[in-house]
This record gives sequence, C-alpha cells and structure tokens, in this order.
Amino acid sequence: MISNHPSSELLIEYSAASMATAPSIAVTTHLQFCDKCQQATQSLNQIGGELLEASLGTSVSEDSLEELLRKVSDLPQETADESQSATKSTSSTDRFKQALPTYVQGLFPPNDLDWRSVSKSVQVATMRSGETSHELALHRISAGGETPKHRHTAQEITVVLTGCFSDENGVYQPGDFLVREQGEVHRPSASQNEECICLSVLAGPIKLTGLKQILNPFLKFSPK
Amino acid sequence: MANPRNPYMMSRQYTTETQPVSMSEAPDWNSYLQRVGKNQDKAAFAELFTQFSPKLKSFLLQAGSIDIEVAEELVQETMIKVWKKSPTFSPEFSSASTWIYTIARNTRIDWLRSQQRRDPQKLTAEMVYADSNTPSPFTNLLKVRQSHDIEHQIQTLPTEQKEVLKMMYLKGLSGQEIADALSLPLGTVKSRIRLALSKLKLRLAAHANINAADAEA
Repeated sequence: MISNHPSSELLIEYSAASMATAPSIAVTTHLQFCDKCQQATQSLNQIGGELLEASLGTSVSEDSLEELLRKVSDLPQETADESQSATKSTSSTDRFKQALPTYVQGLFPPNDLDWRSVSKSVQVATMRSGETSHELALHRISAGGETPKHRHTAQEITVVLTGCFSDENGVYQPGDFLVREQGEVHRPSASQNEECICLSVLAGPIKLTGLKQILNPFLKFSPK
Repeated sequence: MANPRNPYMMSRQYTTETQPVSMSEAPDWNSYLQRVGKNQDKAAFAELFTQFSPKLKSFLLQAGSIDIEVAEELVQETMIKVWKKSPTFSPEFSSASTWIYTIARNTRIDWLRSQQRRDPQKLTAEMVYADSNTPSPFTNLLKVRQSHDIEHQIQTLPTEQKEVLKMMYLKGLSGQEIADALSLPLGTVKSRIRLALSKLKLRLAAHANINAADAEA
C-alpha cells in the first residue's frame, strides 16, 4: 500500500508542465504505481483544457488551414491500439527496470548503468535527463544496509522501485514518493531481507554529516 | 462562427450530407474529434481547426520566448498530432479540449526544452506523460462525472485564484516563478492553488495522506 504521494502543488505543476523534466520523471514513475494520482492528474489536465477553451485566441495566418489540410492528406493515423503499445518490456531480468517507465531506460548510459559505490552499502548510477538543474539517479541500498547520515542541501525526490527502506519517519515501499527538503537530515536503511532500489531526483548536492565524503559522485564536496 | 477562410465551412452542404451538424447550440467537439479519428473526416477537422487554432496560438505565445512565427509552426505541429492521434481519443475519459490541451502542452514544452539543450535528447514530453494518459477503468467513470463541474466552476473562482491557475497552465510557470512574478511568498501561491482545487472539487486527496502532506507543507 502506497502511503506517500506527490503533493497537489507538485501534481498541478506536472499537469501544467511547469516543472523540470527530472522531477516529472519521478512523478510519472509514481503514477505507474498509483491509480489515484493518475486519476488526479487527469482531473487536473481538465483545468488546462478548460482554460484553453475559454481563452480568446489570436488569429492564425490565412493560409494556415489549407496548408494543414495539405499536410494531413496523406498522413497515416495512429490506431487506437498503438497508444497502448507502451507496455513494459519483460525481457529485462532486473525487476527495478520494470518498475521504471519504459522511456527511462532510454536515459541509461549506452553500456547500461554504471553503478558506483559511495559507501559500504550504497551504490549510485546516474542517468541523463538532459538538464543541468537536476541530477537523475538510481540508488541501491544493499539488504540490511544503512546509508551514511546525511543532510540535504537541496530538495531531493525519491521514488521506491523495489524493496523497501526506512528512516526516522517511517517505512517506505515500492511506489512511495518522498520529498526531502533542504536542511533535512536523515539516515535511511534498507530492510534486512532485500536490497532497495530507488529513483532519485536531486536539485543540488547532499552533504554527509560527519564524513568527508559525498553521496553524489558528480558534485564536489564543499566542507564548511 | 462562420469563417470565410475555411473552405469546408463554406461548403456546408457537403458536410451535412454525411452527418448533420446542429449550429443552434455549442458544437460537441468530442464528436468532431471522433469523426476525424473514425472517418478521417476533413470537414470535422477543419471545424476543430477553426475553433482551436487561435486558442492554441495564444496558448503557445504565452510561454514568452515563443514568437509569432514559431507559434504558427507549433499550431500546425499540434494540429497534425491531433489528426494523427485522433483514433486514440476516447470521450469517455477526456473532453476534446483537455485532450488537445495535453497535446499542445507537450508540443510547447518540447520546443522550449529543445532551445535550452545543447545536445538533442530523444526524451519527449509525450513519452514522459504517456503513462498518465492510460486510464484505468475506475478513472473512466470518475472522469465523465467531473468534467462538467470544472468547466463552470473555473469561471466562478476568485480572480486571484484564477490568475494563479492561468499563470501555471497558460504561461507554464512553476509555483516559485508565480510567487516571484507576483511578489508573493510561495506559501501564498500554494494556498491559492489549494483553495482553487478545493473549490473545483478536484478530489486529489482521494487518500488522507495527500491531505496530511498538504497540511504540513
């Protein structure tokens, strides 16, 4: 049972496409697990539809329609089934890959994920969202493993893909969507019986408290 | 309604032979879109164009960095997608305007992002949003029930709430950007959004935890 969802402010930004790509990817990943948020998103899209329909409009150029009709004359249409074609590839042996939206695998490096150890029990593999404002990554905490205690110097969104982890505030299961704000300190650990893999979207570096090490290998550690 | 530039509307005889169109009340755009999807009906498509293209152009222009020329191109691109994807339109879970809005939104964000990036990316908004467009059976039922409410209720929202929704959807600004533009604390923008959503009776918080998360924020 998923008990952590995106806030309505995040969902509305997602619906209006007024958020960056990387957090949108985190929201879509959650939607794959959560019918209720999917349904909420569709309701929110109606606001866009109604505002569009109610707008006064700006006249388009005179030959615009003729040009368009010419263009579509020979254009094939999608079939109703095609829209459903985004089904999960089952060829992958990694369960966490199946929990990701299909397109996310297209953001993997050419030779698959490059897992790097950042502590005894934590590995990180970064992906490319095409943005410099956010880092998109997968985190893997080994079964029973603890991550170093760390402070967030910027907002981080985490979506659990497989396994579960817990911190001071609770236990998080696949589909759970968590937002850690700047300044929050926590020490997540995976459950004993299974490793935990999460998608994470980071708006800035994380600082480990106490250790001169950084969880995010791409960003420089800047000690106080 | 009549548009002398629209060749299909001038020859209305031609269209009414196949499917009568009642002009006495607001046209049912859902059925126009279905006609395009089922029969490649160009007359219906032309009507949709006449209705939606000026609105689309104004929507595209509100992003700020899109000029008139690009907006014209993107209107074409949006309408071409409407043509191609029309067989996948289903009025049971989306109205024509909402469906067209999502296509325009994706087209606009892709263009804006293509301007920011040095390396072309294969990731399109359509891919990102695809999963939120696959309705579950439960979604279908709820959708139909809600769609009429929202239409009327948006118009009755207090100006300040409507303004925030317009900035978010039409201009594509984030909560923080709206706060900056209006010189308001982010919290005020968030609370206007929440008030608007509750007035629209959008039951986002189908589960209590979303309420709890909102209350904390």
